[in-house]
Amino acid sequence: MSGASSVIDLSLGQLGLALLLVGVVVLVSLRQGLGLERDLLVGSVRTIVQLYLVGLILAAVFSAARWYLVVLVVAVMTAVATQAAVSRLAKPIPGGHQIAALALTVSTAVTLAYVIGVVVRVRPWYEPQYVIPIAGMILGNAMTSAALAGDRLQGDLRSRAPEVETMLALGFSGREAVQPLVRAALRAAMIPTVNGMMTVGVVQLPGMMTGQILAGSSPLVAIGYQIMVMFMLAAGTAMASLLFVRLAAGRYLTAAHQLRRYLL
Amino acid sequence: MSDPIVAVEHLTLAYPGDRGRPAVSVLTDVSLNMARGGALTLVGPSGSGKSTLLRCLNRLEEPTAGTVRFDGRDVRSLDPRELRRRAALVMQTPVLFEGTVRDNLWLRPAGTPGDFSEARLSEVLIEVGLEPLFLDRDAATLSGGEKQRVTIARALLRDPQALLLDEPTSALDPPNAALVVETISRAREARRLSIVAVTHQPELVRHLGGSLLFLVRGRVEAYERLDGGASAIGDARLQAFLAGESPRAVPAKP
Ligand SMILES: Nc1ncnc2c1ncn2[C@@H]1O[C@H](COP(=O)(O)OP(=O)(O)O)[C@@H](O)[C@H]1O
Ligand SMILES: [Mg+2]
Repeated sequence: MSGASSVIDLSLGQLGLALLLVGVVVLVSLRQGLGLERDLLVGSVRTIVQLYLVGLILAAVFSAARWYLVVLVVAVMTAVATQAAVSRLAKPIPGGHQIAALALTVSTAVTLAYVIGVVVRVRPWYEPQYVIPIAGMILGNAMTSAALAGDRLQGDLRSRAPEVETMLALGFSGREAVQPLVRAALRAAMIPTVNGMMTVGVVQLPGMMTGQILAGSSPLVAIGYQIMVMFMLAAGTAMASLLFVRLAAGRYLTAAHQLRRYLL
Repeated sequence: MSDPIVAVEHLTLAYPGDRGRPAVSVLTDVSLNMARGGALTLVGPSGSGKSTLLRCLNRLEEPTAGTVRFDGRDVRSLDPRELRRRAALVMQTPVLFEGTVRDNLWLRPAGTPGDFSEARLSEVLIEVGLEPLFLDRDAATLSGGEKQRVTIARALLRDPQALLLDEPTSALDPPNAALVVETISRAREARRLSIVAVTHQPELVRHLGGSLLFLVRGRVEAYERLDGGASAIGDARLQAFLAGESPRAVPAKP
């Protein structure tokens, strides 16, 4: 029996009922003077419009099933993730945009290619039903970890500049002098992923697995995918944060092994 | 001056301004000369560019214009890592890394030449007035004065030609400051070290002799020899220097 037959398609009326939940929040906001009504309304409208637009685009891409359309969608997602990662930094990193674009593109491309081509063995390789959601998960996590790593690196460069310059004054190269900071930033970026692996399924069901189960997949099929996703995200976030932090650290150093303090 | 160890010519340094604002000028047309084995003291109000000038000498900073020569060579033609071993910097606030005093003395890039044997470490500790027993002390447990003497030992261990000192005593209480002054004077005599020091400590200035350079807003306001000790420029004038007032206000001794 195909599980998909049991999926209940939500009608507009049913979505209207769901919107009542937001209405309750608006009432609470009004009574408690939270001042969130406007944002809630704008947020609700954006949720509806953005998701419908994305749904329309995805539906078109899915039915056309052309490799270049899939690549285009993933490229746009990467651009948006790059922008989001950069805007999360407390202080801009010089050339941060290019660095983030490079780190996210490389980490996503490598991880995605391995998962699609070697692990799942999707045929054809550009099957949008697989490529787009998997790329989205990798990008979302890579973006968060790169921003975390970048923030930590910047903060540490500022607070630990005397340490870095002491190393430089002792004759260490710029790369050697920032290595302890790079390591700390990478650890900070990786910890959420590692902790996620420790508690996955115990504290809450991951979104993808929940979605698959809701869409009618057997929990055992969903678990198989979720295990793969956890490993995939570990690799993607590690690669993205490593690339981002290494390149970003390089921006604060000169070829003459100097720390560009005025950038801090 | 024949064969100076440090020579600076028309050095200018400006930081690029934040987001399109004009560049911030930190040093303007600074020139100086120091003989091998000589001493130079940099004084001036806070923010006048003393640290920046000192850091140009071992190329932690890059001048916008002008040249810095060390031991006869433009510093841009030397490997900065090599330059920094030969011109060792001691900072105002000592930075020691996690681990023992031994770990900190040992800390060096792979391939650094020199003797880092246990006997040598003890010898250098004694040179800065610390017991060899200190080798096993956790660096985090040292007092400020002890930390500063360990950073001086760490610098001396590399057999530098010049010692660059950035207010080495200003974070210390008077007794510890006196010990550090004594350490520096002793090391200088024993090793014929050239010393450039930023300091407002009269004892250190007197011990070092050499020249005094007074910086105001990045410009050389006065540059005088202290030959034969501080008395050569007169006490009132030296006090003006060290207090950060313009020495111009006090007439030079004829
Ligand atoms: N990284 C930097 N970026 C911009 N300006 C700086 C930087 N470091 C120092 N300055 C400025 O350069 C001037 C000289 O600083 P410094 O050399 O530390 O002075 P001093 O050691 O005489 O107190 C100060 O006005 C300081 O604000
Ligand atoms: Mg200073």
